[in-house]
Amino acid sequence: MARDSVAFTWTGYPHGVRSHYREVVSGLFLSVVPHAPCPVNELTLALEFVDAFLVVAGSFSFGERRLVWWLLRLLAELKSITFRLPLICGQSSVPNQFWRHAACFSVVLVCLASRDAKAQLNVLPPRVVLHGPDSRWQLLVSHAEQGLSFDSTRTAEYRSKDSGVASVSPDGVVRGVSDGQTVVEISANGQTRSIPVVVREAAAKRHVHFENDVLPILSRFGCNTSGCHGKAEGQNGFKLSIFGFDPQADLAALTQEGRGRRTNRTIPENSLVLRKASGGMPHGGGIRIRRNSPEFRVLRDWIKDGAAAGDADSATLVSIQVVPSDARMAMETGQQLQVSARFSDGQKTDVTHLAKFQTNSEALATVDDFGLVTTGDSPGEAAIMASYLGEVDAFRAIVPQPQPDSGAEFPQQPVLNFIDSLVDDKLRKLNIHPAGLCSDSDFLRRAFLDIIGTLPTATEAREFLAASSRNKRAELVDSLLHRKEYADFQALKWSDVLRVDRLTLGHKQAYTYYRWIREAFARNRRFDEFARDAITATGSLTKNPAANLFKVAKKPGEAASTVSQVFMGVRIECAQCHHHPFDQWSQRDYYGMEAFFTQVNFKSTPSGQVLLPNKATKTKHPRTGDIVQAHALLQDEPSETPDGDRRRLFADWLTADDNKWFARNIVNRVWAQLMGRGIVSPVDDFRLTNPPTNPGLLDALAKHFVESGFDLHQLIRTITASRTYQLVTTPSAMNEQDEQNYSRALFKRLDAEVRFDMICQVTGSSEKFDGMPVGYRAIELWDSQVPHYFLSLFGRPVRATACECERAAQPSVGQVLHVLNSPQIHEKLSSDAGKPAMLEESIRDNEKLVEEIYLMFYSRFPTTDEHVSVSRYLANADNRRKAVEDVAWSLMNTVEFLFNH
Amino acid sequence: MTKNRSYCDGMSRRNMLQLGLGASAAGALGLSRTVAASGTSDKPGVDPARDDVSLIILFLQGGLSTIDTLDMKPNAPAEFRGEFNPISTVVPSMQVCEHLPGLAQVADRFSLLRNFTHHDSGHGPADHYMLTGYAPRAGFNGSLKPNNHYPSHGSVISKKLGPRGSVPPYVCLPKMHRSGGAAYLGASHAPFEVEADPNAPDFVVPDLTPPLAINASRFDARRELMTTVDRFREKAEVTANSGTRALTTFQKKAFDLISSPATRIAFDIHSEPESTREEFGSNSLGQSCLMARRLVEAGVRCVTIDHTNWDTHYNNFDVLKNDLLPHLDTGLPMLIRDLEQRGMLDTTMVCVMGEFGRTPRVNKYAGRDHWGPSNTILLAGGGIKGGRVIGATNARGERPDADPVGPEDLSATIFHRLGIKGDDEFHTPEGRPVKIVNDGRVLRELL
Repeated sequence: MARDSVAFTWTGYPHGVRSHYREVVSGLFLSVVPHAPCPVNELTLALEFVDAFLVVAGSFSFGERRLVWWLLRLLAELKSITFRLPLICGQSSVPNQFWRHAACFSVVLVCLASRDAKAQLNVLPPRVVLHGPDSRWQLLVSHAEQGLSFDSTRTAEYRSKDSGVASVSPDGVVRGVSDGQTVVEISANGQTRSIPVVVREAAAKRHVHFENDVLPILSRFGCNTSGCHGKAEGQNGFKLSIFGFDPQADLAALTQEGRGRRTNRTIPENSLVLRKASGGMPHGGGIRIRRNSPEFRVLRDWIKDGAAAGDADSATLVSIQVVPSDARMAMETGQQLQVSARFSDGQKTDVTHLAKFQTNSEALATVDDFGLVTTGDSPGEAAIMASYLGEVDAFRAIVPQPQPDSGAEFPQQPVLNFIDSLVDDKLRKLNIHPAGLCSDSDFLRRAFLDIIGTLPTATEAREFLAASSRNKRAELVDSLLHRKEYADFQALKWSDVLRVDRLTLGHKQAYTYYRWIREAFARNRRFDEFARDAITATGSLTKNPAANLFKVAKKPGEAASTVSQVFMGVRIECAQCHHHPFDQWSQRDYYGMEAFFTQVNFKSTPSGQVLLPNKATKTKHPRTGDIVQAHALLQDEPSETPDGDRRRLFADWLTADDNKWFARNIVNRVWAQLMGRGIVSPVDDFRLTNPPTNPGLLDALAKHFVESGFDLHQLIRTITASRTYQLVTTPSAMNEQDEQNYSRALFKRLDAEVRFDMICQVTGSSEKFDGMPVGYRAIELWDSQVPHYFLSLFGRPVRATACECERAAQPSVGQVLHVLNSPQIHEKLSSDAGKPAMLEESIRDNEKLVEEIYLMFYSRFPTTDEHVSVSRYLANADNRRKAVEDVAWSLMNTVEFLFNH
Repeated sequence: MTKNRSYCDGMSRRNMLQLGLGASAAGALGLSRTVAASGTSDKPGVDPARDDVSLIILFLQGGLSTIDTLDMKPNAPAEFRGEFNPISTVVPSMQVCEHLPGLAQVADRFSLLRNFTHHDSGHGPADHYMLTGYAPRAGFNGSLKPNNHYPSHGSVISKKLGPRGSVPPYVCLPKMHRSGGAAYLGASHAPFEVEADPNAPDFVVPDLTPPLAINASRFDARRELMTTVDRFREKAEVTANSGTRALTTFQKKAFDLISSPATRIAFDIHSEPESTREEFGSNSLGQSCLMARRLVEAGVRCVTIDHTNWDTHYNNFDVLKNDLLPHLDTGLPMLIRDLEQRGMLDTTMVCVMGEFGRTPRVNKYAGRDHWGPSNTILLAGGGIKGGRVIGATNARGERPDADPVGPEDLSATIFHRLGIKGDDEFHTPEGRPVKIVNDGRVLRELL
């Protein structure tokens, strides 16, 4: 029967049914396979599903559906919820009552018959072909249960039918012994599977290739890391290139340096490298490669055959692949990974034992040296990177929140824009529930601090809370975007990463550079134009302050790293000296980027410094000496670079609508500023091995940003209009462990400058900063070196790098003590000209006074309890003025004041 | 006397530790180990048997002229040997400057590392090198505060060992040196800065005690009010957010610091008998040494004293003789003696160093300039054997004759004695692994 005959329209049925099951038509049955853990009591959901099916089928009366319901309910203690429903029931008109009843029974019977069907054991790959000597393949064994994958690779039992052809180890590695065919039997979870194994050319002579076979071993056992022989000066006279980026040098180090003792071709076992690594001689790094291991044999054979580079025409590595690519896993369970390498001649080999693994979140999942991933006890998504010879691939572990006994369902909440549906999709996948909508006062304070880095005044709070416009939140955002403080605050943030550094630039230049940045935000310039102007700036520093970027990032390499980190969120500087250890970037990629910036040149003229690009300069690969033509990341290298300022070519590429990074990076930065965490986090570290937590959302935001003409205002309006932005901070059991999927509003740490301005505002005392006019607020400081104890203590950045991480995100005891006890804060609180003194004098009524203070500090009215207790404190005090200071001090030291929430 | 000393007689360190933030209370909030732990038993790369070892670094900023003090060359030509004469010490094989007679009397408690050398003779980078064990990278800007490319010794100790009791693990006296920061270990491991001179008559640690206008009862009332108005306190919100969780921990620590008798007493140098204060010397260096001893006694793991003015380009001999050495010669020997009398010398390493030595040839202003290649280091306590002279410089004190050692080896030795594995790695924000010690050798000849 055709799938079409079942017209599934699930409207009206609980979300749980559709979002947690997918339908698979096979033969005469419609199977319903859960793909997310059950959000409600399994039995109830199962029954609802069957009922929904009967509704869709159309001809069943309410009584008949109830009958089925009760029958199933009585007969079943449904543990397994893999259902099969006879498709025949779905035929739109079942002819008569008899058939309808028969159909009902068949539903019941088929459901019951299928309830105990064991989840099928999956073995990967379905067939193993082993080619050449010492070849191997890691098997993966798993089964699905309740929408989760359970790996039993390490616990399964393996048996090779003919161990003369292939052997299989207890952890599932099949190794070729001699040419032929056999079968490996795998038993786990009470089931058995068999897979065919073919072994070819097991006895062929091994042609060890230095780069393909020896280097991976040196990398796998840590010989060439920065802690050992890979560091710049080597270790005890033996130096390897870090992560093996320079095979020729490594080959020379092994075969020619050290008076040739490292490799002994006559008696390979006596080679220093083998004796040291295997414990035959004292070795600072301990025993690394055991004598009886296959890796030892590879090294020995390589030395025996002359310790040569190997055939120059040998196949080269094309890519690696991790299997599985992702898995939905239960908490605290394991998953073995398998890594295969594909070579240019089409061969695929298993390199699981030679790959290196790394997780992006220790809390969500860890991974051992052998590729066994173990999930933690929180829900979320972790990426596990595997790397081999400079190629990387990642596995995603998706760990849903387990369904609690209470059976809470995914809440039905309005979808205000595309952001909400994309966030909800992800949350459903992880079975994490979003929090509810925040109050107007929460929104007010949050929007002020997020968008303009400024606390609302009591008057602003009263006005907003009293406003009756249905659209008042959007109106507020719109008004904030046009305030002076918006430009101040955004300029502060961008001056950090674009490095407005007075110590390097000098006072005047730093100031004009800052003004240029601020102006862009004050006028809401298209962001692509802003970036283009910065990257392609030429001419006099006075007339075109944007050119200062190349004064702080002086060298071409530094300019390339800064520009890619700031405008693409990609850190390439690792690849200056060696292949990026966590990404795909090679030195060639780095120098390809550098080549865009080598023409930058400053000339001194009577009217100051002028940036005049040089005509032509060549960039050479530092190791090979080859000329590297300017080419951006993931772009083909041209055979020749066109004339003219290459920075223009780069800017064209960067700001093109379809650029992979530019828009994504900017929306991610804005998102992080508003939501407290980037979809990619840290915001300036986009890499294969640090994937976005919600790629669909990132793509959609970027698309929106491009379509809006790179309009930051519109982006902020869209994000703040989403429900996701307007959630409460209150966690529930269904989201308390989530801090990366936007299920609730996070507490955001305030920047040093914002926090200081808040303290000045609520105490009514302005600060005079050195060298700045009176009345300047901290967020207006264009110079991050203005001496100020509070600002340094709270982690103001020094702008020495383009890294967001310069803003210290961690608190310290000293910071807390300063707000609690410092004479400076005390002075502000107790000043005769300050707010506390003024309010105490002007508002005689304690209740009104408390209300005013709450609006000032928290942008909300006090609750009844708060009203009572604080008024009582004021009433009982001997000295009302001091009591007001006490209240202000207390409010200032609370989490509610010290955080943006 | 009895009244003043009651803290030492009446309260053991164990008692004081119990006053601090209990690990269990912090644990209940699900805090990270570094924030919460107060013992080292379960810390990776740490030897719990050494948990009681502390470190005092006396940093003579500007650069101690070691050729005039700890490594004299009486037989060198006049333009090298300078104006001072050596005197014998209680250790036959060791001589020191005639203006260090006090130190000569305790020579059997300390050892000298005369083969110490490094290549850097600029203040900023050399300071960084000595205080972290790492030379800074290119682009170093010494005038930033902090200027660390790598974490200071105290920050590493804070990170690896955590606090011991309610006092901060790492304290800088009287202020923090620019290279005393935590670099990539983060603000939580930055030093606690005293920011006041213990020699000042009205010395109090700013921020540690409420302003004078706030007496104890008002402070308590405020604090109580604060708990009633903090609607997120003890709420799920705080525990479910890493940011607020950290703040509340630090707030608890802060209140512990403010209210704990241990801290209050440790920082209250005025409770020390007048006679003891005088014995240490009524100057910044002496009182800082006394303060360092009090802090270590209270549980601080690393105290770094930043003492300035040692940059003797002009009138080196006058300045040393009349100003600097007398202070050093009272404070330092007294510190060593006092630690010994209290049974603390075996568990407290004292390390005296400048960023470099000074040019062996006297300049035309009767001064000496910067000189990294020879720079004798003085070490005592914490397992360092006393009375040893390790290595030697050449006849003119220009550089070690043989077996040079450097800042890496000094770091390796310090961390080894504090039970920290130097091979362990930290990760910078870029993910680059950096070893705690940059490949130094533990100087077994000192142990």
